[in-house]
Amino acid sequence: MTDTHEQEKKQFKRLFQQQGVEQFNLTFQVLEAFLKLEKHVTIKDILAQLKADDVKLDEGFVLNGMELLCRFGFANKIEFDDKETQYEHRHIGLHHDHMVCTKCGSILEFKDEAIEKLQHKVADAYGFHMLQHKMEIYGICSNCMAHRDERVQLHKAKKGEKLIIKAVDAGKNMQMRMSSMGLKIGDLIEIVSSGFGGQVVIAAGENRLVLGKGMAEKITVQLFDQGKALDSHEDTPPREISLPPLLLSQLKTGQEGIIRKVSGESILRRRLLEMGINRGSTIYVEKYAPLKDPIELVIKGYHISLRVEEAANILVENVKYRKR
Amino acid sequence: MSKKVTIALAGNPNCGKTTIFNNLTGSRQKVGNWPGVTVEKKEGMLRHKDYDVKVVDLPGTYSLTPFSIEEITARDFILNESPDIVVAIIDASNLERSLFLAIQILELGRPAIFVLNMADVAEAKGIKIDEKKLSLLLGLPVVFTIGNKNKGIDKLVDAAVGEIHRFDEGKESRDIRYSNEIEACISKVETEISQSKVNIESVLRWTAIKILEDDKIVKAKFQELSSSASTKVFQTAKACRKRIVDLFEDDFEIVLTDDRYGVIAGIVKETVSNSAIKRIDMSRNIDLVLTDKFFGIPVFVFFIWAMFQLTFSLGAYPMEWLGMAVSLLSESLDKILTPSMFKDLLLDGVVAGIGSVVIFLPNILILFFCIALFEDTGYMARAAFLMDRVMHTSGLHGKSFIPMLMGFGCNVPAIMATRTLESEKDRILTILMTPFMSCSARLPVYIVLAGSFFAEKAGTIIFSLYFTGIVVAIVSGRVLKAVLFKGEEAPFIMELPPYRMPMLKSLLIHMWERSKMFLKKMGGVILIGSIIIWALSSFPKTISYSVDYDEAITALTSNYSQQMMLAGDPETAELNRQFILKVKEIKNKKEQERVSKSYIGRIGKALEPFFEPIGIGWQASVALVTGFVAKEVVVSTMGVLYGVGSDEGDALEKALKNSGMTALSALSMMVFVLLYVPCFATIVMIYKETSAKWAGFNLIYTTMVAWVMSFLVYKMGILFGFG
Repeated sequence: MTDTHEQEKKQFKRLFQQQGVEQFNLTFQVLEAFLKLEKHVTIKDILAQLKADDVKLDEGFVLNGMELLCRFGFANKIEFDDKETQYEHRHIGLHHDHMVCTKCGSILEFKDEAIEKLQHKVADAYGFHMLQHKMEIYGICSNCMAHRDERVQLHKAKKGEKLIIKAVDAGKNMQMRMSSMGLKIGDLIEIVSSGFGGQVVIAAGENRLVLGKGMAEKITVQLFDQGKALDSHEDTPPREISLPPLLLSQLKTGQEGIIRKVSGESILRRRLLEMGINRGSTIYVEKYAPLKDPIELVIKGYHISLRVEEAANILVENVKYRKR
Repeated sequence: MSKKVTIALAGNPNCGKTTIFNNLTGSRQKVGNWPGVTVEKKEGMLRHKDYDVKVVDLPGTYSLTPFSIEEITARDFILNESPDIVVAIIDASNLERSLFLAIQILELGRPAIFVLNMADVAEAKGIKIDEKKLSLLLGLPVVFTIGNKNKGIDKLVDAAVGEIHRFDEGKESRDIRYSNEIEACISKVETEISQSKVNIESVLRWTAIKILEDDKIVKAKFQELSSSASTKVFQTAKACRKRIVDLFEDDFEIVLTDDRYGVIAGIVKETVSNSAIKRIDMSRNIDLVLTDKFFGIPVFVFFIWAMFQLTFSLGAYPMEWLGMAVSLLSESLDKILTPSMFKDLLLDGVVAGIGSVVIFLPNILILFFCIALFEDTGYMARAAFLMDRVMHTSGLHGKSFIPMLMGFGCNVPAIMATRTLESEKDRILTILMTPFMSCSARLPVYIVLAGSFFAEKAGTIIFSLYFTGIVVAIVSGRVLKAVLFKGEEAPFIMELPPYRMPMLKSLLIHMWERSKMFLKKMGGVILIGSIIIWALSSFPKTISYSVDYDEAITALTSNYSQQMMLAGDPETAELNRQFILKVKEIKNKKEQERVSKSYIGRIGKALEPFFEPIGIGWQASVALVTGFVAKEVVVSTMGVLYGVGSDEGDALEKALKNSGMTALSALSMMVFVLLYVPCFATIVMIYKETSAKWAGFNLIYTTMVAWVMSFLVYKMGILFGFG
């Protein structure tokens, strides 16, 4: 690491002398202090280091200096959610990603070749030319996890957590209401926000739903362990997260999927809903017409035909081939 | 004392509603249109115990939203005409979707019963429905029926009458409860309405829901009752709608629809038990061929070809017999009656006019039998499925294909065939485009003109004319759609119902009812039209001829009789032949002058400046005007005007060439014949199927298109030196 640091300093001298940066020596001091510090540092950390090195510089200068370092690729600015701006070393050619614990705030660096490759693959699949990327995984670190209950009531869940509904301790009325909102036991939900008077906003599929405190208290949820769900086949996840939802018009003959969203103009949308094409129903592509336009679909046990352009308003997930 | 009650049948399309209706009423039914719209209305009578029951078949719909005329018609009937009971017919094998409509009917607050039809199909599918529990949950009688086997029909009437009784004694329909947010909105608006003290005629809860759903019709009606109260109520509704949008990020009506399905899912869960019976899905197997990637279209073409053949080839025989009967009638009348104006009117006006329509009856009967067969088996939906891509390019629905194709035979039945289209906009558009399909009556005109002027290229010319008609129809469709029906494209959401064995009784009822309507409607208007046309062509009676033809004939007769007396035997025959020919020539000339001086001839001549730019002379102009009666008349009028008998094709050819008509003007005339109003009967049909407005529009539009196209053909021709 020190080698790289020496190299960085050399490059810095060459670059900045060429550019004729004002107060070159002082900026160099900032770099030296910054390089001495590993991990992620705030402006305050750098000021502290400078103080320890007996260099007196004011905060504004250091801030400008760091901006300069960022511009020339010696440092990386990281702005995590609601945190002070932090800087980290940027060694050209070397790259890593971050994991941020939403509970204790610790940041972990990691690098995974498989992910790096996968990103290129995904970009390619979409015909996207990837230039660079930034990846931040938010979650709860192993330390915090060790001190946490598996099952909690919904109103106690943290923002951003993905959870599976495990039990609903309520009367028939409320169960009906839940199902009318499209929620059922086993569904995967995500907490969008919580805490405003016990009200919880959750995301289920594409929809945001608001649950009052009374309702949230009666719902028991379990943390959805994505890693485990993807690995083990016994406890398959309720929704396959790995597959992106598709437009119904993209499905091929013999495929089926679960309707996730019906969009489009109000009349069309209502017509579709009236014909039974509503969220949560399974829809099967029976065939395309010989001229490729209307599609024959099977929904709720009967056959219906839709034009391709109309089918493009329907988003389906869990797409797979069905054997007839 | 018998009591009169009215039963309204409501249900999804393809739920077996029509079969139940036919079983209930037998042949005692009346088919007509609902007032103001061209949705078919069927009514029938039956006697049940002490009751005289009137049964009204409401249009088949999937919902009661105010988006299509069928739905508005059904809803208005239930609300405004207040039938004593609404019978919601439910396809038991398709409970979930059928209940969606049934629950909306229940919400209207009128007495209702639910009929689970096709109970046998459901059973075969392994679906068991607990009707007692369903009845208990919804608070109304539930009856099982098997429509096509006529089972349970009596129970249906019994239950209906019983329920009417219970409502007379003060029973009220049960409300369907939705989620708390929705219910909160409903009760807020309800309170607001009842505080306003406006006397709404329909059920409070329903009105509240509709106002919340932003239903334009209900809102307009409420505003009419009290505009001050409506402002307040609408404001409350708007606030409620906003709240729902904030909460669910979706419109109120969408959330409510979702909620309805939630309620239905609950009902289904409570009452239905599924046993997994694996059964061969016949419909699917049939569709493996009929809508196959490769076979689908050839098979469809074959079916259409067969229908065309049946209608126009097989139909040609009875058509001929009827034609013979008509001429027999007119001949015998000719013998019985003494010459008078009344006789002329009767023979040339009434008999000829009615006769020209009656001969279409066999075609219409066969066509409607075929269409009924397509509809009842479920093939019609497949035809639309196959052809939608093609028709969509001209802004039409797949189902428009059959009427358009029938247009090549005759436009009149083709326009009637548009009744299979559910959306009125699609129907009107199809009706407006059908006349561009070159009907069989136009063919004789092409044969004479193309035969005379294009000789061996005639076939190509005639084919190009047919093709031009199709292109003009497609372009017109796109233009009309963009201009007149802007932004009103109905979504193509069509059920592909399972194939069913058609019932002969229902096919015959279908066929006969529609044909009867054709006869009745055509009869009146055609009669008047024929008389007018007859009058125009035979008046004024006193024409001052330029030459005294009668005198000429008398002179000729005396001349020849003298010659013949003097001549020997072999020459007499030759002289006689010459004599007959000359008399005929004079008579032709007389008729020519008479027609040209009759009112219709004067109209033709007056229109000469209109036809001059497209290269059509006065004789042809008159022929085109008479062609308004029927295209077949064009050839015979030309025969008369060019001074030859109508039956002498060769002579007409010569006469046409001698008259100074060029190949280019002949082409121009053919294009005009192709595109202008097909015939009087077609216009009447358009008027009957749509409105006077559309009939008038079609008249002007087709004539305009015809003139512009002919003008282009003629002027371009001259420009390129074909003049």
